[in-house]
Amino acid sequence: MSDTFNVIGMLSAIAVLTGLGIGFGALLGVVSERYKREDNPLVEQIDALLPQTQCGQCGYPGCRPYAEAINQGDALNKCPPGGEATIHALADLLGREPEPLDGEAQSEAKVAFIREAECIGCTKCIQACPVDAIIGAAKLMHTVIEDECTGCDLCLDPCPVDCIDMLPRSTLLTQWQPATMPSSKVIVSDRPDNALGGVHVERL
Amino acid sequence: MSSAYDFPGGIHPPERKQRSNQVALMEAPLPSRVVLLLQQHSGQPATPCVAPGDRVKVGSLVAKREGMISSDLHATISGTVGEVSATQIVIESDGKDEWQRLPSLDWQQADPAALLARLNESGIVGLGGAGFPTHIKARVVERHAIHTLVVNAAECEPYITADDLTLRHYTNEVLEGAQIIAKLCGAQQIVIGIEDNKPEAIQALERALQHALPDSQPLAVELMVIPTRYPSGGERQLIKKLLDLNVPSGGLPADVGVLCHNPGTLLAILHAVRDGQPLVSRIVTLTGEAIAQPGNRWVRLGTSVKELLEHAGLKPSELNQVIQGGPMMGTPLLTLDTPVTKLTNCLIAATIDELPPPPAESPCIRCGECESVCPVALLPQQLHWYARVKDDAKLERYHLFDCIECGACSYVCPSHIPLVVDYHEAKSRIRLQRIEAAKAEYAKHRFEFRQARLAREEAEKQARKEARKSQQRRTPTNAAASSEKIDLRGLRIAHAAAKASVKKAEKTLARVAQEDPKQSLDDLEMQLATAQENLKAAESQLAQAKEQQAATAPSQNEDSP
Repeated sequence: MSDTFNVIGMLSAIAVLTGLGIGFGALLGVVSERYKREDNPLVEQIDALLPQTQCGQCGYPGCRPYAEAINQGDALNKCPPGGEATIHALADLLGREPEPLDGEAQSEAKVAFIREAECIGCTKCIQACPVDAIIGAAKLMHTVIEDECTGCDLCLDPCPVDCIDMLPRSTLLTQWQPATMPSSKVIVSDRPDNALGGVHVERL
Repeated sequence: MSSAYDFPGGIHPPERKQRSNQVALMEAPLPSRVVLLLQQHSGQPATPCVAPGDRVKVGSLVAKREGMISSDLHATISGTVGEVSATQIVIESDGKDEWQRLPSLDWQQADPAALLARLNESGIVGLGGAGFPTHIKARVVERHAIHTLVVNAAECEPYITADDLTLRHYTNEVLEGAQIIAKLCGAQQIVIGIEDNKPEAIQALERALQHALPDSQPLAVELMVIPTRYPSGGERQLIKKLLDLNVPSGGLPADVGVLCHNPGTLLAILHAVRDGQPLVSRIVTLTGEAIAQPGNRWVRLGTSVKELLEHAGLKPSELNQVIQGGPMMGTPLLTLDTPVTKLTNCLIAATIDELPPPPAESPCIRCGECESVCPVALLPQQLHWYARVKDDAKLERYHLFDCIECGACSYVCPSHIPLVVDYHEAKSRIRLQRIEAAKAEYAKHRFEFRQARLAREEAEKQARKEARKSQQRRTPTNAAASSEKIDLRGLRIAHAAAKASVKKAEKTLARVAQEDPKQSLDDLEMQLATAQENLKAAESQLAQAKEQQAATAPSQNEDSP
């Protein structure tokens, strides 16, 4: 009598737990299918760290494709406009080791400038510009909207008459930054010896 | 009479106000040439509207405001326009001093729109130091209810006595100007906050308030004398002291229903409304040990600092540096060949003994002195470490942007660390980074727009091609091509998603435009355009797929029987 009771109890326990398992599994499955996210939030975060020049120097057609590639495991060091700062930010985000930059870092922000007298109006640079920052029409002179140019260089190669220069970006006087001081060490023992010695001599 | 409330911190630097407040207010001589900077207010620089050779009178408009936050600029002497460049307008005097005034307005009768327009066309900005256009400040009432107008006569910085002298000489005018602003912003009371080191001004105010006719002073005015302590003249500090209201971090006094004005600004407002006289001159304190006749002067804007100081008896042999503004927050001038602007409230020609250069900086010893004097209750020491190692995230977490750069921490630092310089640098660095980040975001949106446009063009091309193809050969041979499964459902979903994103972009744009009509909407408009391109692409793809299905459906029907 007690044996059969035990068997029934055991079976019902198994049945209840299996039922619960199947029930919750089905619920989770339905929910994950119903509220599926198309985009990957991590890709968004990586994309936000990239400089958005859309220059293609990484080998991908724009910053977002490169962000997707990084998410798939591509190297972090393919973005010359971003430089070391971007590599470090990406390494921080993804918990990977920072690698040295592949290629040469840009020394300063640049913009494209069309020498308008030489422009023949071929529209090739307009088609190459990833951010639609060049205006003009066929057989008419083209020009670059300075505020919207990201300095990506992509218009240089297609130009048949080489009339595009990369010039340093002009900065507003209101956005002027003082030349960075030699980073003075905050803690006195970190200072180079000569500086410390200099201070001592002065004081004595 | 002093109030029970208090703000944290504060210091008592030597006042040195006697040097300039013993002498009556005088007119500075008319300059033979003025240089008017196009940017002498916060916001966008003004745009010149005169050409070289034009004849101008005092008060003629020479540069118009550009954009939302900007201010008009008027000729300050009569004569001919000399040079007009991207940064300044030069006017050569004809010595006649002919005026061009606007018609007088009766502020008690005039409607608010007319008063606002008058403030706008008179080029009045806050004369206390920030230079915020007054007509924009008066329009704050459109979005905030104002209950109190505070007249900020604390003038807590050492040396400066311009507000003191303004109140002594123009007591009734300042009070009337306060009534104009109070009427304009619907305030229910006016509170004058003044430090107790200005007994003459306090006396003058008391007398004026006692003898005031109820006609000219429709609103109650309360005079509150507060003990002298730097920086009680800071807007937030004064509001805390007088009304015990805390202006929220990153907010404006208007958020707690208060508007703050400087006596000099109120005087300029009265002159603009009653006399139709635009802002062409201001009261400047000339002081310091290196000039023989210190005092306050009415100075035409654009007068050369050098001329002004020389007329006050500058002793070049004793001069060490000239500081524009006060010794705590002012900036040393690199050259005296610079004009007086709307923001020049004080010029200190200091000898080397008077304001000696700071001793060499030594390391922070963690004494905490700076923390106890900070009027905003920040942690200057922590900010110092983070500013030096450029840890911007930490700086923002420690509320760097709440720092008012009053200089109290630098003043008490036993290691002579120029703390405020560090904060100022860090602030401008972070601001630049924000601008760059916004630019990158904009570039990203432009790139997305281009991608969407290209996709739409491609889809339309494809649709046209298919349409041509199906017209050319209505034979069953293309059944092979169209028999591949058309994902009509997937396309419908994509179409619906594109429609939803257009709606969302429209909504965001409408909401932001309503919330803050001032800011630029280019970026949001770009996002809306991108969504619209995506919708068009989805539409044409869907139409194409439907057509294909319609084309294949009959052929399948033919096959089946």
